[in-house]
Amino acid sequence: MAVDTAVPGADFFFKGESGRNTRGLLRLLILVTIAAAAIAARLFSVIRFESIIHEFDPWFNFRATKYLVNHGFYKFWDWFDDRTWHPLGRVTGGTLYPGLMVTSGVIYHLLRFLTLPVDIRNICVLLAPAFSGLTAWASYLLTSEMSDSPSAGLLAAVFMGITPGYISRSVAGSYDNEAIAIFLLVFTFFLWIKAVKQGSIMWGALCALFYGYMVSAWGGYVFITNLLPLHAFVLICMGRFSARLYVAFTTWYALGTLASMQIPFVGFLPIRNSDHMSALGVFGLMQLVGFAEYIRHQLPSKQFQTLLRAMVLVVFGLAFGGLVLLTVSGVVAPWSGRFYSLWDTGYAKIHIPIIASVSEHQPTAWPAFFFDLNMLIWLFPAGVYMCFRNLKDEQVFIVIYAVLASYFAGVMVRLMLTLTPIVCVAAAMALSQILDQFLVASQPSEPTESTKANGNANGNADIKDKLAAAIPESLRSTKAPLVGIYSYLSKSVITGAVTAYLLLFVLHCTWVTSNAYSSPSVVLASRLPDGSQHIIDDYREAYYWLRQNTKEDAKVMSWWDYGYQIGGMADRPTLVDNNTWNNTHIATVGKAMSSREEVSYPIMRQHEVDYVLVVFGGLLGYSGDDINKFLWMVRIAEGIWPDEVKERDFFTARGEYRVDDEATPTMRNSLMYKMSYYNYNSLFPAGQATDRVRGSKLPAQGPELSTLEEAFTSENWIIRIYKVKDLDNLGRSHQEAVGFEKGNKRKKAGKRRGPRTLRVD
Amino acid sequence: MRLPLLGLLLGLLSFVSALSASGSKLLVVIEDEADKGKYSQFWTDLENRGFQLTYRSPKDASLSLFLHGEPAYSHLLLLPVRAKGLGPALTPNLLVDFVNGGSNVLLALSGEQSVPSAINSLLLELDINLPADRTSLVVDHFNFDSKSAAEKHDVILLPSPEFKKGVKNYFSVDGLIAFPRAVGQVLGNASPLLSSVVKAPSTAYVYNPKEEGESVEDPFATGSQINIVSAFQARNSARFTVLGSAEALEDKWFSASVQLPVPGSKAEKSSNKAFAQKLSAWTFMELGVLKVGQIQHYLNEGSQKGISNTSEVASIDVNPEIYRIKNDVHYSIELSEWEIDHWAPFSPPQGDSLQLEFSMLSPFHRLNLQPKAQTANSTIYTSEFKLPDQHGIFNFFVEYRRPFFTNVEEKRTVTVRHFAHDEWPRSYVISGAWPWISGIWVTVGGWIVFVALWLYSKPAEPKVKTR
Repeated sequence: MAVDTAVPGADFFFKGESGRNTRGLLRLLILVTIAAAAIAARLFSVIRFESIIHEFDPWFNFRATKYLVNHGFYKFWDWFDDRTWHPLGRVTGGTLYPGLMVTSGVIYHLLRFLTLPVDIRNICVLLAPAFSGLTAWASYLLTSEMSDSPSAGLLAAVFMGITPGYISRSVAGSYDNEAIAIFLLVFTFFLWIKAVKQGSIMWGALCALFYGYMVSAWGGYVFITNLLPLHAFVLICMGRFSARLYVAFTTWYALGTLASMQIPFVGFLPIRNSDHMSALGVFGLMQLVGFAEYIRHQLPSKQFQTLLRAMVLVVFGLAFGGLVLLTVSGVVAPWSGRFYSLWDTGYAKIHIPIIASVSEHQPTAWPAFFFDLNMLIWLFPAGVYMCFRNLKDEQVFIVIYAVLASYFAGVMVRLMLTLTPIVCVAAAMALSQILDQFLVASQPSEPTESTKANGNANGNADIKDKLAAAIPESLRSTKAPLVGIYSYLSKSVITGAVTAYLLLFVLHCTWVTSNAYSSPSVVLASRLPDGSQHIIDDYREAYYWLRQNTKEDAKVMSWWDYGYQIGGMADRPTLVDNNTWNNTHIATVGKAMSSREEVSYPIMRQHEVDYVLVVFGGLLGYSGDDINKFLWMVRIAEGIWPDEVKERDFFTARGEYRVDDEATPTMRNSLMYKMSYYNYNSLFPAGQATDRVRGSKLPAQGPELSTLEEAFTSENWIIRIYKVKDLDNLGRSHQEAVGFEKGNKRKKAGKRRGPRTLRVD
Repeated sequence: MRLPLLGLLLGLLSFVSALSASGSKLLVVIEDEADKGKYSQFWTDLENRGFQLTYRSPKDASLSLFLHGEPAYSHLLLLPVRAKGLGPALTPNLLVDFVNGGSNVLLALSGEQSVPSAINSLLLELDINLPADRTSLVVDHFNFDSKSAAEKHDVILLPSPEFKKGVKNYFSVDGLIAFPRAVGQVLGNASPLLSSVVKAPSTAYVYNPKEEGESVEDPFATGSQINIVSAFQARNSARFTVLGSAEALEDKWFSASVQLPVPGSKAEKSSNKAFAQKLSAWTFMELGVLKVGQIQHYLNEGSQKGISNTSEVASIDVNPEIYRIKNDVHYSIELSEWEIDHWAPFSPPQGDSLQLEFSMLSPFHRLNLQPKAQTANSTIYTSEFKLPDQHGIFNFFVEYRRPFFTNVEEKRTVTVRHFAHDEWPRSYVISGAWPWISGIWVTVGGWIVFVALWLYSKPAEPKVKTR
């Protein structure tokens, strides 16, 4: 970075041995400041609301962490959870990534050991911000490996620290796997680069260790499992096979695979699942190529080399064919559905609606890129281009990562998260290049013969050489081009512009974080006309009602989105939750919600449901409610019972999805519709009931329920809870019982026409 | 299930005075105070059995079935009324609430008076149909009492009721029972809660004496489709008995001499008194009441194997909340039956058995429970089995619903977990794993040997430099 050399005596601090120390100290200070800024930027939600766990999945992680802390590690490892997926239960200990919980548990016990008793909730809430500081540091390390420029790493760190693409998943309270996984991802990549560069078993082993940690923390580890082999494969194809690469890759693969197989959820996947086969294949290829290289060193015969090359290709082909054969025969599990949906964005909607129904699995809209990355998104290609200019092994990695991550981020909103680190690194490289050119106060020196001979002594001279080599020597002016910035004007303009961009970036990041990513979504905030904040706390109101007014083992049926929250906040068993491991069970709930009461009631009886919870936003205009999600329930149920639930029946003849007078009978008789609008009319003058989300007027006659009774409705009607009635004491159907209570006379059986039905005893 | 149990407890508390298992307060709704004398033998019998009788007219303003929202009486006896309705205290809805509250009703109808519409619509809720014209009688030209109804054939004489195999008969009496001017009921086919006690003989039919016609074109019901006495037991075990002929309870029929119109038959004393006693005893829960005592389930393996026969059961973990798949478990349930004045060991009728289900969504096991031991007033049924190879939340479920027995529905929820990481057999125990284990050790050993050789073998000085 540029410093003012005019100050007398400053030379001591900026030159020689002590100069290096000063720069090291400065760098440390800057990194610490960046980490502090990264943490501070993520605290909006705690300051605005409170120290609370956000959204859905974090509630499960929080609950699991509490279990771990209370019952110890082995109990956690063997945890059979009988309060979710009633009555199937869930082998939770064997179906989760324990890295996050174990990390918090270790921190918790460490703090206790240091006699700092901190509530486990606060550790969970603040874990993500703390790790974002580490991520900034890791991206500094990674970028420093890529670029000679001292500023690139620091810029990457600051970008990583505050870019909204990463903040979206790591604000305080967002206690999700990604909270630590992104740090592990970046750090594993750094260790990999280090291993490849040095060909060191130590770095390779460290890389495997952190890869193992990553596997224990997030399902996204598959990205590393495929990216590292791809990098190695591309390097081999480019003819860059070396002992360094061989050592790094084999060390990582052998140790990393062993480490990953220790996680029960992963188990034998690394040798049985297609997603992991590329690593295995490249490992095999690496041995062949290594052997071939060895032979080549021994025998220089050119014919032999070609033969060997042919052999390599044949073996590779055989191995690939064998893999296909194993996949077809079922020994190796076929690609998972989520994997297919990465290539065909329409695949999930047709085959696995449960995946398509998740909003974060939708393809990314283009403004999201700018929203999450701001100016980095246009610096990013420049950074990738820079890599091409100086293409060493590690730059190849950047290029591959950039291409893959860009594609995936375009397919799925959620994968924006894996794109963010590489965007930060590449953008930092591009920006540091600009700053290094323009933020130098001294004039570029005239090229001399000696510098030309030395080549790399000066960055400018280096560029000039390259340019001279690149441009055809037909023109006189291009024979010896002068490259360098001489004018202070252009220097200051560019520097000023870059500074302005950076400031705008900070402004944008802060604004996005504050407005878009800091809402816990458990608590909703709105503004009153006078500008003051109004908190809508219906979720917690309802969950605490459940906690305090129902039996300890009252089973609550709701759509799976709310399963984790009910488990975490209401502490009641649920039928389905966000784990979505059993599609049939979810479809059963979908069927119960989308069928007539007479069909739903036996399903609910069979599953011992005591309460049904629905989210209804019609009164408040809260659009994320169950009626808007209803079609997904229908689709998922249709996937299992295509004869009983039909999506078409929920649309009007003109193909509209309506809730008003023109809603189809199927729609109006569905349990979900009835539960949402039951008694809703009573809030309005006769015939005036309107749904503020769908913007439609409701039928004058509200729906009637006979198998359920309303148990609770929250303040703003967002959550409605119904109690499932017991069977009628006199053995009648509920419709008849309700009719009798209302005083309807029953038709006499004797007056029925047709043959008499005789009783058989 | 809670209300009858509470009732049972209360019944035990008032043991000295009452013999019913669910309380002694009996409300008799009788329209005319003067009619009370007609049934004096029946009242004496009831009072002798420990019931506290309260007489009320349906028009009585102080009549209320409920006190503070709870049923004020354990039992209700409704005698026929002349009025069209039953008054505001006995609407069908209130009567349904009364039954839902766990109280028992004995409804006596009479062919002499038309049935009130309230009763009619109440019975419709129970899936019992009465003749539409409200004044029809059951008539039989082969089984009438030739002494009192030689002309009209409307006093039917029937022997003791018989039931099919596996159903306990609480109503058997010696001799003939007379049902004068009975209202026939037709039971619906759908409700499993209904059962007929006394059916009309196959030659009976429903006839309206007010229709002066000689023949009946389309009778309401014929033959054994007509029920003269039918019983309904609600899901909460509250009993509702419909007796077609209130007259059968009258003193004059308790001691009447009856004779079948068959040549050679002799006049004999009617068994109405015994039948009335049995019918009221069953309705008012002196008979056929089942009680579940202790339910125990525990591991039956390892150190606890076969412990059920010893006295050590108290020292082990009884009724644990969690088991593991493939555990051997022991289940026992204690059942008693109320017999007029005491709890007796229960045993199911011939040809029937008590079953245990171990179920999650659907039963994984359905086992007959075996009577293992008997105490002074209960039988202990047990079963031992191996849990299925499926983890989840299961129920030990004993459901015993039989006609004339109160319902037994006992669910004990347990969690069945998977094998923990240290519960699998160790690798060296599995013979199939031996090649792999030896492979590991050969590799380790080989590597050590290689390292040793490498370290201790000095390479020879290179004589010629290889290219």
